[in-house]
Amino acid sequence: MIPYEQAGNDGSHGALAASQLAGQAGSFGSAGPKLRRALGLWSATATSSGLAFAAMDYLAVVSVATYAAGTSAWLAILVAGVLALLVAGIFSELNGLYPSAAGIRLYMSRAMGNRTALSVTFAYMTTIVAVIAADAFLIGAAIQHVLHEPTVLAYVWIVVLVGMAITANLLGVKLTGAVQNIVTYTVLASTTALSLVAIFNVPGPLRRPLALLHAGPHNAIEAVAYGVFLYAAFEWVTTTAEEVRSPATTSKALFIAPGILFVVTAVFALALTHAVPFASSHHSPYPQLLLGRAALGEIGELWMLATTVLTAINTFNGGFLTASRFLYAAARDGNLPRVFCSLNLKAVPWFPVLVLGATSALVAAAVFLTRQWLLLVAVGATLEALIYACAAWCVLALRRRDTRKRSFYLPMAPVLCVAGMVIFAVLGLASAFSNPANPSRLSVLPAAVVAVIGCIATAYVLIAIPKLQAKAAARARAAQPRRRPMRTISSEAPSDSGSGQL
Amino acid sequence: MASWEELQEALQDYTVQCNTNERLRKMQRAWSRRLHFACDDSEITFTMVVDHGEITQVLPGHLGEPDIIVTTSSETFCDMFWGDLNPVQKYLRGEIKVQGSQEDVMRLDAISSIIWPES
Repeated sequence: MIPYEQAGNDGSHGALAASQLAGQAGSFGSAGPKLRRALGLWSATATSSGLAFAAMDYLAVVSVATYAAGTSAWLAILVAGVLALLVAGIFSELNGLYPSAAGIRLYMSRAMGNRTALSVTFAYMTTIVAVIAADAFLIGAAIQHVLHEPTVLAYVWIVVLVGMAITANLLGVKLTGAVQNIVTYTVLASTTALSLVAIFNVPGPLRRPLALLHAGPHNAIEAVAYGVFLYAAFEWVTTTAEEVRSPATTSKALFIAPGILFVVTAVFALALTHAVPFASSHHSPYPQLLLGRAALGEIGELWMLATTVLTAINTFNGGFLTASRFLYAAARDGNLPRVFCSLNLKAVPWFPVLVLGATSALVAAAVFLTRQWLLLVAVGATLEALIYACAAWCVLALRRRDTRKRSFYLPMAPVLCVAGMVIFAVLGLASAFSNPANPSRLSVLPAAVVAVIGCIATAYVLIAIPKLQAKAAARARAAQPRRRPMRTISSEAPSDSGSGQL
Repeated sequence: MASWEELQEALQDYTVQCNTNERLRKMQRAWSRRLHFACDDSEITFTMVVDHGEITQVLPGHLGEPDIIVTTSSETFCDMFWGDLNPVQKYLRGEIKVQGSQEDVMRLDAISSIIWPES
C-alpha cells in the first residue's frame, strides 16, 4: 500500500492539506524550488559550444577561407560572430517566453502555425543528420589517413563509428554532464593551442589578414555565410531550458558561447591559412591534420586526430540523443508512425536511433563516393541561415500575438529582427548558390538539396500526417472509454485524449 | 478544477498501474527520482517518490529536493494519471511544464506510453 501519508479521504482532511500547502505553493510561485541537479552557467556554455563545434567546422573554416583573401578568414568569422550575438538575442527572447525543450516547436507553431512549424522543424532535423554524417565521414577519413590505410577502409571506419554510436545509444549509455563538459572544453582548448603553435612555429608574416573585401563584396558575403555555419546549433542549448537554474543561465550561455567559438575558430582559421597552402587544405577532408603536421609534424597530426575523435563523442552523443528524442516526441504527438515511439528496456526510442544511424551512414556513403563534403557544409549553412531568419520573424510575430512577460527582451527588436531576417535570408541565398569546391563558379546544388529537403518535409506534413491522425482518431474511437470516473470529470476537463490537431 | 481527493484517486490508480506493470518495472529498475507536482489552477502540490521504478510514496506538499518538477492544471493531472490524455501533446503545446533533465522527462512520459499505449 502506498503511504499517502495524510490520506485525505474526507473533505476536512483535504481542506487541511490545501491550507497546509498554500504556503508551499506560494513559495513555488515566487522563488521556485531548486532542482537537485540543475545545469549551471559553466555546463550550459559547454553544451552550447559543444553543440556548435563539430569536426565539420574544420571544413567550414576551409569554406570561409575559399572566399576570403590571404589570412582574412578570421575577419569573416568575426562578422559572423557579431551576427551570432544577434541570434543569441533572438533565441534568448524566444527561450524567455517558452523555456522548454519543446520551445523550438512551440514558438514556431505559435508564430507560423503548426504545419509550417512542423515542416521547418523536420527540415531543421536534417541538419543534425548532415552533421552526424559529415562527422562520421571526416573522422573515418582522418583515421584512415593517419593509419596509412587504403581509401576504401575509410568507409569501414565510418560504419564502425556509426555502429558504435547506435549501440551506445541503444544501451542507454550517456555521458554525464561533467564528462561532456570536459570533452567540450578539451576539444576547444586543444584546437586553439595547436593553432597558436602553428602560428608561431611556421615562419613568415601573416598574409593580408585584413583583406576580406579584397576579392569583392560578393566573396565577402559568401565568407560570412560560411562563417555563420561555424556557430550553427549553439542555439540548441535552449532545449536544456528545463534543466538550467534559471532562464537567465540559458541567455548568458547563448551570449558567451559565440565568444568562445569565435576565439577557437578564428585562431584555427588564421593558423590554417597561414601554415597550410590553400591548395592542400581546399581539397582535403582533414585540413586539421594538415595543420597539425605543419605545426608539429607527426605529433601534431596525432594531436589533431585525437581532438577530431573527441569531437565525435559530442556529436554522436548529443546529436543522436537530441534527434532521436525529437522523433519520439513527434511520434507521440501523432506526427510520425507509432513505431517511432517504441521504447526498448533502457527507455530508449530504438527505432529513431536506428533510422538516424542508417540515414547518417547512407549520407556518409554518398559523401564518400562523390567526395562532395563541401556540399554538406553548404547545405548546412543554407538551412541554418534560413532558420535564423525564421527565428527573427518569430520574435516579431510573437511580440504581437503573445504579450506575456519574457525573462529577456531583445533591444530594438523591430529594427534588429527585420535586419536579421534580411541579412540571414541574403546569407542563406549566398550559400545556397555557392560552390566552395570551385569558388569562381556558382552552383545550384546546395539550393536544390535544400529545396528537396523542404519539399519532402512539406509533402509529409500535408499528406502523411493527416492520414496518421485519422488513424489515431479511429483508434481513439475504438479504444475503451475514459478511465476517469464520470463523477470526477469537471465540465472544464480537457477532452483531447485523441491525436493532436494540425 | 479537480480536488485533492480526485487527484488522490487518480494517483492511487496510476500507482497500481505503474507498480504492477512488469515491463515498466524492468525498464525503470535503475530510475530513482523525487518528483514535485504543482497545480497551476489551485494551491495543490504533491510529491512522488520513485525508488528503482516503483512508486513508493505520494505525499502532499513539496518535500525534499526534486529531480523533476511538473506543473499543469489539476484537471490535466487527473486525466493524465487516469491515462485519458497523452501528456506529450499537452507538453508540446506548453500546457504541461516540466523542469528536469531531458532523460527524466523522457522516462516520465515512458510511464504513460507503456501503461497506456493507446493514449
